[in-house]
Amino acid sequence: MQISELQNLVEKQGIVFLSYGGFLSQGLIAGMTEALEKEAEYNNLNMGVSSNIFTIFIELAQNMMNYSKTKSTTLGEFKAEGLILVGKDKSGHYYVESQNVVDSSDRAKLEPKLQEILTMNREEIKTRYKELRRSGKDTHGKGGGIGFYEIAKRCDTIEFEFTPLNESKCHFHFKATINTIKE
Amino acid sequence: MQNMKIEETKYTPAIELDASGAITIVGKSYPENTFEFYAPVMKWVESYFESGAKKLAVNMEIVYFNSSSSKLFFDLFDLLEENNNPELIVNWIYDAENESAMEAGEDFKEDFEKLQFNLKAK
Repeated sequence: MQISELQNLVEKQGIVFLSYGGFLSQGLIAGMTEALEKEAEYNNLNMGVSSNIFTIFIELAQNMMNYSKTKSTTLGEFKAEGLILVGKDKSGHYYVESQNVVDSSDRAKLEPKLQEILTMNREEIKTRYKELRRSGKDTHGKGGGIGFYEIAKRCDTIEFEFTPLNESKCHFHFKATINTIKE
Repeated sequence: MQNMKIEETKYTPAIELDASGAITIVGKSYPENTFEFYAPVMKWVESYFESGAKKLAVNMEIVYFNSSSSKLFFDLFDLLEENNNPELIVNWIYDAENESAMEAGEDFKEDFEKLQFNLKAK
């Protein structure tokens, strides 16, 4: 493998940084968030926009970290393929993208929630977020509760895809794009 | 009541609980185990009110936070509202340029109409 190939790809995609494989740890997430802060500072990003980018990144990364922990008995299948990256597209908008392996049973829980978010406008997302936060429902675990509403509230578009790997597992691919230029 | 102090880390805020009637929480909040991390704070606040104290100024200046912290702050404000009195005040402090932190404060203010909840740009 030529590392230059990887570098070309990273540059072409405007990737600011990425993490692939291994274990995502809290320390690693904090380090990457720090790198993101530097990136935001260097690019003179508006504080509100950069806070949204940090929050979305943290939310996705901690989701992946916690999910792989709950699946520790079959960790071999879950640890290696977790990918998370932050990039900047050609129009200058930042995006946070992730991919990890999830159980099909978890897909069944997650997918309707994400599909519903796609149909909601900003005000509806905010209302649902506040309802869920108030009821405490779905927030007892370590993630996957109000997390995706938190993300949706703070970005402009979300995209997602589930790609089956076999009968019981699939790849969950998620992307949030943050409009950098606010009116 | 004892005073309590928790030092700031990369992902948890600096916390000061002053038994003379002040709470300050400043920094970022995305702990790995949010509820465990804040458990001593919640306990302190409970004991504070159980001791009969009323006067309390809560100053929160959180730059950004994860969703479990958002839920935890909600629970904290809920506890404050249960013990609401004219001498209890919450100040949500944010950088004037951080629209995102301001909106988070507005969302909490809407949810806790009974509290004296002030949004303060700095």
